[in-house]
Amino acid sequence: MTGARKLQGDKVSEAEAIQRAKQGDAEAFEALYHLHKRRVYSLCLRMTANTASAEEFTQEAFLQLFRKIGTFRGESAFSTWLHRMAVNVVLMQLRKKGLPVVPLEETLETDEETHKKEPGADDVRLAGSIDRIQLEHAIANLPPGYRAVFLLHDVEGYEHNEIAKIVGCSIGNSKSQLHKARMRLRDLLKTSRAEKATKP
Amino acid sequence: MYRRSRVGGLIIALVLVASVIAAAENRKEFRFRVHRHASIEVINQFGPISVKPSVGHDVVVTAILHSDKAEIDSSHSGSRVSVSTHLLAGADPETGRVDYEVFVPADANVSLRSATGPIHAEKLHGDVILEGNTANMDVRDLSDGHVHIKTLDGPVTLTNINDGHVEITSVGGEVDLISVSGPLVHVNSNSGRIVYVGDFGGGGEYSLMTHTGDIEATAPAYASMDVLASSSQGKVVNDFPLQPVHTSLVEKAGSAFAGTMGKAASSVKLLSFSGRIHLKKR
Amino acid sequence: MTCEEFERVLPELEGGHNLEQEEHLRTCSACADLLSDLNAIEQNARLLGDQEPSPRVWNNIETALRRDGLIRQPQLQLVSATLHAPRWRFAWLVPIAAALVYGVGLLIMHWQVSTQVAHQGRITNPVVESSTLQSPSVSISEDPMIKLVADEAPGMRASYESNLRAVEAYIHDAELAARNNPNDEISQQHLTNAYEQRAMVYEMAMHRVLP
Repeated sequence: MTGARKLQGDKVSEAEAIQRAKQGDAEAFEALYHLHKRRVYSLCLRMTANTASAEEFTQEAFLQLFRKIGTFRGESAFSTWLHRMAVNVVLMQLRKKGLPVVPLEETLETDEETHKKEPGADDVRLAGSIDRIQLEHAIANLPPGYRAVFLLHDVEGYEHNEIAKIVGCSIGNSKSQLHKARMRLRDLLKTSRAEKATKP
Repeated sequence: MYRRSRVGGLIIALVLVASVIAAAENRKEFRFRVHRHASIEVINQFGPISVKPSVGHDVVVTAILHSDKAEIDSSHSGSRVSVSTHLLAGADPETGRVDYEVFVPADANVSLRSATGPIHAEKLHGDVILEGNTANMDVRDLSDGHVHIKTLDGPVTLTNINDGHVEITSVGGEVDLISVSGPLVHVNSNSGRIVYVGDFGGGGEYSLMTHTGDIEATAPAYASMDVLASSSQGKVVNDFPLQPVHTSLVEKAGSAFAGTMGKAASSVKLLSFSGRIHLKKR
Repeated sequence: MTCEEFERVLPELEGGHNLEQEEHLRTCSACADLLSDLNAIEQNARLLGDQEPSPRVWNNIETALRRDGLIRQPQLQLVSATLHAPRWRFAWLVPIAAALVYGVGLLIMHWQVSTQVAHQGRITNPVVESSTLQSPSVSISEDPMIKLVADEAPGMRASYESNLRAVEAYIHDAELAARNNPNDEISQQHLTNAYEQRAMVYEMAMHRVLP
């Protein structure tokens, strides 16, 4: 069993691993990586919908964090710090590519963004029948701005005030984008179900 | 009586031979239960490794040992599985040979190493990493994952590989790419010849480079690419009517050309020091 | 309350509903279904599983940390760990070992060159032109990596020697081209590729000879 795995197996505290990492202990770095890699990678993968980019951003997030580990004093949870780093890395890359992260105007609505469905339309309820693979696909098909807020709130559990600080928008905007993301997902999931039902 | 004893003798002889063969070949099977995106590693010195997709979440490894000069070491931790051949003193390529047949979940990442091979992988969606000295490597029907191959002199054939990164480094092994496309296709060869037959599709970056090996690329007339080809000391032949582009490359008839076809969606670089380069139209 | 009014306040409904909204939900099945669907999406989102990155990610991180000097283990511990740990655990050691081995080989080669020159009474310019370099075949057979392969896996020595010779020839040509055309991107790419090939040959040799 490798040293890093032993660290995990003995349930050495994260705090101890951080202290040892500050002293340059390779196994401590690896233990911290293995503790948090899945959550960070999953966040990056869902935000980018691309394996290669997700790996690159995961790597960058951990490296940025490890380079600053000497300054970590434990004011907040290590995982929160790491997570925030991962989100910032992804958002920075999205901005570099010119992709809109979150529009500033919460009230700006276009025809393609609003879905004025008549009440009593043909929709069947989704509740109780959401396939997780379909949900993952639907998330990947969200516009980047909606996807970012949805992932941070519904998947990762951030509050709107935290999301607003992270992505640089207002709390109202964060709520509005989240609602639009959920509405869009609802449409995508129903379309996907309808397509499946019509296939022979 | 004589006939019966003769037949009986034959049967005994056959049984003896069969048991000798069975004793010489020792078959071992391992089964591991893994989760999604498992990592599977198989390290072998001498002998073939074949990897195919399984049904369900099990990794099944069947190893045939050809003598008692080799042992199988295995480890399983979570979704990481490692199987390796451990050679005992006195083992040589014949007695140290182990044949592996491996079934893995299609989304698993696999890493295979064999000096002599051959190595075969097919119908997987995870990352595939192969390493061999003289091993013949055959990879087919992969999508979405990265493919990384390192070989010294073994020939490499990739068929129907899509949507992932393909990176191949070869010293003397010939590299054949048939219907290979994706965001990145990079072949770095020394004297090994590179043959590409495909459409350079997907808006990817294609880089086929050699020191002395020839490069032969065949693409359809509708290929959409931005091409750069150059050989310092070799001959360069182009069958495509390329649109000229602004480039710092000094176009020299017979040794360099650059230009675009269609919407120039993909970037294609065919570069060699002294190999012959031919961009053919099919 | 109309359906439009209800949909307008939906984004704010995280804390619960007021009486008016509750009443609307009781009487309007479409809005009740909509709210139910949105809640289901939120609940299922929380249950989405995590995925595993490929081993390559940690390898790259570890390499970068070592390069940055953030990992500071004593060399002796590292060596004993190498001898007792599974091979793949220390895959990162291979390129560093390869570079060290090559550096030692280079030192030996230069020592041999300067010794020969001293005997012949010539002045050796430290920045030598490619044409005055010793022929690769002599230095390669003296390469410490080749000697290691010869000791541990003698059947593979000839193969590694010929591969290393081919790679050194590529490096030689690429360095010359890069020196003559310092701004030429193609020359730089050839040089990068040539070094990559050399690193691969060393790495694969180490895989064969390390326990």
